[in-house]
Amino acid sequence: MSDDATLEAFRLADSFLPVGTYTVSYGLEQFVADDRVTDADELQTLLETYLGQQVGPAELVALRAAHAATLEDDIDRVCHVDRKLSAVTLAAEFRQSSQQSGDRLLSLQQDLRSGGELRAYAERVDAGDAPGNYAVVLGVATALAGIDVRQACLICCHGFATGLLGAAQRLLSLGYTDAQRILSALRPAITEAVEDSAHRTVEDMTPFAPLVEVLAADHERAQRRLFVS
Amino acid sequence: MAADMPETDDAETATAAHPAFEGYAAESLPQAAVGAPGKDGVLELQFAGTGSGTKLVRDYATVPFHISGTLGHDPHPEAETVFVQSPTGGIAQGDRHDIEVEVGPDAIAHISTQSSTKVQEMNGNYAAAETGLSVERGGHLDYVPEPTILHADSRFLQEMRVELKREATAVLSDIVVPGRLARGERFEFERYLSSVSVSGPDGLLFEDATHLTPAETDPDAPGVLGEFTVYGTLFVVAPDRDGAGALSDTLHEAVADCEARAGATALPNDAGVAVRALGDRAETVQAALHAAWSEARETLIGAPAPSGRKY
Repeated sequence: MSDDATLEAFRLADSFLPVGTYTVSYGLEQFVADDRVTDADELQTLLETYLGQQVGPAELVALRAAHAATLEDDIDRVCHVDRKLSAVTLAAEFRQSSQQSGDRLLSLQQDLRSGGELRAYAERVDAGDAPGNYAVVLGVATALAGIDVRQACLICCHGFATGLLGAAQRLLSLGYTDAQRILSALRPAITEAVEDSAHRTVEDMTPFAPLVEVLAADHERAQRRLFVS
Repeated sequence: MAADMPETDDAETATAAHPAFEGYAAESLPQAAVGAPGKDGVLELQFAGTGSGTKLVRDYATVPFHISGTLGHDPHPEAETVFVQSPTGGIAQGDRHDIEVEVGPDAIAHISTQSSTKVQEMNGNYAAAETGLSVERGGHLDYVPEPTILHADSRFLQEMRVELKREATAVLSDIVVPGRLARGERFEFERYLSSVSVSGPDGLLFEDATHLTPAETDPDAPGVLGEFTVYGTLFVVAPDRDGAGALSDTLHEAVADCEARAGATALPNDAGVAVRALGDRAETVQAALHAAWSEARETLIGAPAPSGRKY
């Protein structure tokens, strides 16, 4: 990868990236409210479930397909993948969070880069033809920036993990060192999720985390909450 | 065939109903081939709306499916009910089942099974069931079979496609019990893959898949099944109705105080509502899903769900 692509990868992986990561917890808030996650160890195990059961078999599969379709200049295919990711994401709050972050990344990238492909995809999202999920937008953006698909998958996982660790710092008063320790300890789970996604086709997106979905359903109706998901 | 089978050393010790048959008794019989007659069960049901309510206008069933007519106990006056029976002990290795259900315009059909489906222990091949459900304009289908019980070492593939036309609605449920819990068998099956793909008049609405391989991936992981054992899902599909958000809240409230841990969420593409339930026993998961089903039915067709009693 060129220096330019590497720097773009750093920028996209940074928690400084303004895509609203601080507003989402993907159900973690409810796990804490239910006393199912009370310490760093329990948090790490739950994050491993997210990576192995949700991010790997759904988001990363979509990201890979969107990345490949962008390189082939196939916007129809990007939109198809995007719709498919929404169709297999059954928790309503997860779809909302994914689309909100996707929307912010898409407009941010358009402000920074003037590319025809990005605009063409954004127009399809605006027209309601594609939902604009974060993983798909990230796939398109990384492909256009010359970032390898594997690095793009790692960025997606890293962003997801740092986002949830940031949420955990506020929900659990998790210390900075613990957060960094977990982020480090998640590396094998991240690698495994990235590898698992490489063997899947778009027809084989099968996220499976029922207890996460049940708790997300409670979170939708929670009286007091810090996060939108 | 049997005469060609090699005799084993056991031949001398085998016992038969008559001493003259003892020589034959030890000869093993090959199992019927994959998808052979008796293992290729076909079930076809077609319902039509008529001036005097819904009628089952076509039924075709081969072993292990059996239909003994319809039942008229549905709280909705125009609905028709079929309980699918099985004269066998369950699903065996090499079984390939095929189920097709068509619900005509404005017809209301309710399909269930008489008892749980047991997927038997396997030492070769696997079992599979393919299900295709279609609901024509304005029709309604309740497809709510009894739970599937996965015995030790079983491998079961279940694929369901559902197609809804304009103004059509459906309720689909699936409960999986990971073993004969009362005898301490739990997550000893080899592989279970159940997928459902639902389309409406404008294309794909949503997809869901449960893929469990307990030896490879721990089903007890936090966020997956956690401390629970039995897992059930109820989909209320109503793509042409408004108010999926409100229905989702209603169904969530209906299951909130159940013994099973359950929750409801709005499906993608305004397709309706998904209810997930987790519990320690099939009965508690069934009770939660039944409560949600009954609420959903009130909203969709103005009548509660029939009682779950099968005997």
